[in-house]
Amino acid sequence: MRNTLRLLTLLAVLAAPLAAEGGSDTKGKFFFKKTCKACHAPGTPAKEITPLSKTQAQWKAYFAAGKHKKGAEKLDSVLKPEQVKDVQTFLVNHASDSPQPETCGG
Amino acid sequence: MGTIRMDRRLFLKAAGVTAGAAATTQVACLSYFKKGRSAAAENREVPTTCELCPNKCSAIAVVEGGLVKKLNPNPENPKSRDMLCARGNAAIKQVYDPDRIKKPMIRMGARGEGKWKEVSWDEAFDFAAKKLAEVKAKHGPEASLWSSTEGFQEVFFKNLGLAFGSPNLVRHPTLCLASVNLAYSATFGTVPSFDLLNSRYVIMSGANRFESIITPDTMDLIGGVMERKAKLIYLDPRFTVTAAKADEWYPIKPGTDLAFILAMIHVIIKENRHSKDFVAAFTTGFDELAEHVKQYTPEWAEKETEIPAKDISRIAREFADAAPRSLYYAGRRSSWYQNDFQMRRAQAILNAIIGNWDQVGGMVPNAKLPKGEFLFMPWDEPKAPRVDEIEKHFPLAAKGDGVYLKLRENVLSGKPYPIKAWMVYKQDPMNAMPDQAKTLKMIEGMDFIGVIDVAMSDMAWYADVVFPESAYLERTDPVEVMAGIWPAVVYRQQVVKPIHDTKPNLEIVQGLAKRLGLSDYFDYTIEQWVEAEFKELPIPMAMEHMKKHGVWAASGKPVYGKTLTPDFRFVTKTGKIELFSQRLQEAGYDPLPAYTAPVQPPDDRFRLILGRVGYFTHANQTNNVWLNEFMKENDLWINPKPAERLGIRNGALVEVASSVGKVKLKARVTEEIRPDCVFMLHGFGKKSKLQSLVYNVGASDAVLLETAWDKVSGNAAFHETFVKVANA
Ligand code: SF4
Repeated sequence: MRNTLRLLTLLAVLAAPLAAEGGSDTKGKFFFKKTCKACHAPGTPAKEITPLSKTQAQWKAYFAAGKHKKGAEKLDSVLKPEQVKDVQTFLVNHASDSPQPETCGG
Repeated sequence: MGTIRMDRRLFLKAAGVTAGAAATTQVACLSYFKKGRSAAAENREVPTTCELCPNKCSAIAVVEGGLVKKLNPNPENPKSRDMLCARGNAAIKQVYDPDRIKKPMIRMGARGEGKWKEVSWDEAFDFAAKKLAEVKAKHGPEASLWSSTEGFQEVFFKNLGLAFGSPNLVRHPTLCLASVNLAYSATFGTVPSFDLLNSRYVIMSGANRFESIITPDTMDLIGGVMERKAKLIYLDPRFTVTAAKADEWYPIKPGTDLAFILAMIHVIIKENRHSKDFVAAFTTGFDELAEHVKQYTPEWAEKETEIPAKDISRIAREFADAAPRSLYYAGRRSSWYQNDFQMRRAQAILNAIIGNWDQVGGMVPNAKLPKGEFLFMPWDEPKAPRVDEIEKHFPLAAKGDGVYLKLRENVLSGKPYPIKAWMVYKQDPMNAMPDQAKTLKMIEGMDFIGVIDVAMSDMAWYADVVFPESAYLERTDPVEVMAGIWPAVVYRQQVVKPIHDTKPNLEIVQGLAKRLGLSDYFDYTIEQWVEAEFKELPIPMAMEHMKKHGVWAASGKPVYGKTLTPDFRFVTKTGKIELFSQRLQEAGYDPLPAYTAPVQPPDDRFRLILGRVGYFTHANQTNNVWLNEFMKENDLWINPKPAERLGIRNGALVEVASSVGKVKLKARVTEEIRPDCVFMLHGFGKKSKLQSLVYNVGASDAVLLETAWDKVSGNAAFHETFVKVANA
């Protein structure tokens, strides 16, 4: 897409101030799908991961530890440091014990 | 002419109308048939997906000479099977409706006066973008409100509101089914489907399933009940079609359904008829529930509901004995009373303790199918809090939907901040919300109103600019997964080119986004969007398949019991089915459903109750020329006893008055309603002259209904209004 480059540059700029304030659910979903789901999807070697894979406390603990691949590497080597908070916000908001009332469509 | 008559006859046949009822033929739109006809005659069949209600049935459009001639059901979809309902068949007339908005329009006279100027798309976009930008500059982006209802292209509209910077998206659920959704979500972490096809014992409270919405689910139930494979117990103050087909009908005292359900739970637990294994393995809070329901005896419930205690006890026993193939059906619209959430919670709990979860003939968690997702550029989160203060007043409600009536109260008061622009997609708040006078006041307070719709709804009639959307048969839409007992992926593709100067919603959103400096967030085409979705369908040649078939349904066979494993985690706080809810308790609500008797009308007034019929499930369908033939006007059902007392005769014009408005319509004096209630159908008495068949015909319930909502979900309480009735 013709805007991809512009998009990614813009995102890096946009993400930084929000990350410091506590994370964006919308951007977190984007980075999760773009980065994490590239490997953690059905039919890929890595285990499938969805927000429902952990409880809110488990996600918080995971991000506090900041490790990826069972501790083999740091999480911010996979996700840009400014994106980590957004992804955490998204995953905690949609964790397996989060209140998520169903809706109609939408 | 021949073509049109043929269409209509086939339609009426499909919809089950007798020759006599069909005698008065209204043949309209000939000029539009001619106008829509393409030069090169073509005959083809195009699979697509119906948009006339959220059931999303698969259809095959038969195109002859460039016109949609007929819609056939597509049997490949196991949910819709070989059926399209009356509304689905009549979708042809949505395209060829002479009342359609044919070009963008800008208001010339006063709001609602009906003076319009047809303009170009550029003019309409420039006008709207300028107004939105002015509001943003003066009051901030949060001063804009974005209202919409369920639809495959709704996502683009919502995204425009968010990218614009407004947190104030408000959707239809709190005018429809928010209480039932929240109650089941709070109990099971999800809203299941009901396996009516295989159930042996069904209880319905007011869910008028044989009459108000006709889908294959309805047919399953009809099959079960008519062949006497299933027993149907039906509670309703009115003798509906469902009551007529039920094994037992109880004209329950309105607003007391919760007492009936609590007494059933009481009997089942007291007599040890609950499913002990299921309760022990999958639920939490049973002991608290058992203690809580001790007070709710059948004798107590008889006084509340007017249903004999011996019947309540017998029904409870039969219900438990038929488990797991028994169910208390949740219904669709659940906007009745201010205790609606707790009433639905009690239903969920009753279903849970008999162990019908994930069982044949019981409640089944919805199976899903995978599809891809188009990743668009995300925007900054809106910074302001929501104007409806949902976090403070409805902490457990669905944040993305908002709470409509609280929102309107806050907009009218200007607190916590002013709302000055109102964008609306595919929704008619003028008729969907109670107390139309209040909605009109809200309209008065707006600096700008823009509406995107296929037809000139009452809301569009009061707008400053109207953007005509292409009808579904003229559009390609995003792909949709229909989760359910028979999950399917459905595709809506363009059947015919737009016959007027209309656009699909995405292009309308993009036209506005461009002028608002938001183009980067909408830099894609519908084809790119759909292609990304097709990519992850686990079938070879997914795009080709979907274009050819319009639907993919995996095996098409239901799967039961997938969640009945010891390590399954429900999406609740405890990971179990929550009979007792700590989350509710922490939010300040009753953790178990507690009963408070509803206020009953004084002697000189009636409770107004509402409903639907299968050909007008939604208010926008009364102006469809084919559907309108079924019923031209709504009337007021009133019992002969009060009618006699008031000197009201069958067919007489009566005035109905509540504390917020009054209307006139004809009386239907009938034994089929309790003496303390009156009833009217939704969808008539329109204010828009481009709803010509129902403009000023009959009456709109929205004029009469007072503002009230359920405390937990914020769902509108439509059955809490008391009215006076007198000869007009
Ligand atoms: S139930 Fe009727 S209106 Fe609804 S999608 Fe199916 S055919 Fe269309």
